[in-house]
Amino acid sequence: MKDKNFEIISVAQDTGGAKDAGPWIDPLQYVAAKPDLPKETIETAKKIGPLTYTALIDEKHLVSKLYNMVNVPTGVWINEQGRIVRPNEVAFVDDRFKKFSGLDSEPYLNALKDWVEKGERSAYVMSEDHLQKIVTAQSPSIALAAAEFGLGEQLYKSGHQTEAIAHFKEAQRLNPKSWNYKRQAYALTSEKDYGTTFRDEVQKIGGSKVYYPPPELPGEKKQD
Amino acid sequence: MKASMSSGLLLILLLATVPAAAKELRATIVYDDAVTDITSAREEADQLWITTADLKRATRFEVKPQGVCRDELCFPLPKAKRDAFIHKDAGASRLSQSWFNMTAFAQLVHQPVAHDAALATWYFGLRSDQRQQLSSLQAPDFTLPDLQGKAHRLSDFRGKKILLVTWASW
Repeated sequence: MKDKNFEIISVAQDTGGAKDAGPWIDPLQYVAAKPDLPKETIETAKKIGPLTYTALIDEKHLVSKLYNMVNVPTGVWINEQGRIVRPNEVAFVDDRFKKFSGLDSEPYLNALKDWVEKGERSAYVMSEDHLQKIVTAQSPSIALAAAEFGLGEQLYKSGHQTEAIAHFKEAQRLNPKSWNYKRQAYALTSEKDYGTTFRDEVQKIGGSKVYYPPPELPGEKKQD
Repeated sequence: MKASMSSGLLLILLLATVPAAAKELRATIVYDDAVTDITSAREEADQLWITTADLKRATRFEVKPQGVCRDELCFPLPKAKRDAFIHKDAGASRLSQSWFNMTAFAQLVHQPVAHDAALATWYFGLRSDQRQQLSSLQAPDFTLPDLQGKAHRLSDFRGKKILLVTWASW
């Protein structure tokens, strides 16, 4: 789809930066530097092949902050003029997590291809009126949650893990919908520090099949 | 904060009594996700004051006659409450400093502040002008590095359709 004036920009929401996100972004480069890895890992890396899109590292979770995102993967469609034409939604571009989520990437990919092909005429482009209704600026408490999370990251990076946990907890309390605040914090220290597990948190909301709300795509229109 | 005669009076009373309780401290400020070490800051009644020189260093904002400004962005200070934002050390010594109230300014621009008292660290979040951008439906701009450290700016892709997608290793 590259030749059609279309670009994928993938942004890693990783406090650990390139160290954590790197192996996933460019597996070929990663395995080349580590010849002792298991054979299967090297084979998988070769299968994935070289990078074909723009992959950025976001240590401060800036994109989630600016776009008010609460989970990954979250996709936003941006047109040639820099306008949002589809806001935050679950954006699977492959089926690696299908077992967990129950979501098939095909309808989303078809919608994406339709937009790349037809532009503003695509049925998947949302009207300005509809967008105005569903895209809202962060409320003060959600913005404060982001600040608490940012403070936690700063303390963590300056070697104050224990102190960071209190602020990660406060961010989770202020924005309970953010899985990013939960999962990034668990990954930096341990689930034990939060008295819960990811599995328990997913059970609380009704299991992994509702963890990702499916993107709202006008289904029947995609057949034309 | 309501602008009224009584609150103005109260403010004057507060300012008159506060200096005695001012605590000098070393502080860390995170502003626009940039970290700045402030060797001499003051904390008075839960308000963080830094010198106007440190303000510029930590935030790139400067106090000008028209307000607190950075590039084309300018936030006028309420005239009646100017003392709540800026305070000059007494005396005409060359060493007398001009202090700026970061906490009051954050309130003025509707900016959330997270604070860790034990580590004297203040994190300033997105101001309301930054948060409002999303409701305009114009994609908020950002600049981030790739794996090789090369910076990419979203707006440099203008003229292309973009799928912006976040993910994480965790």
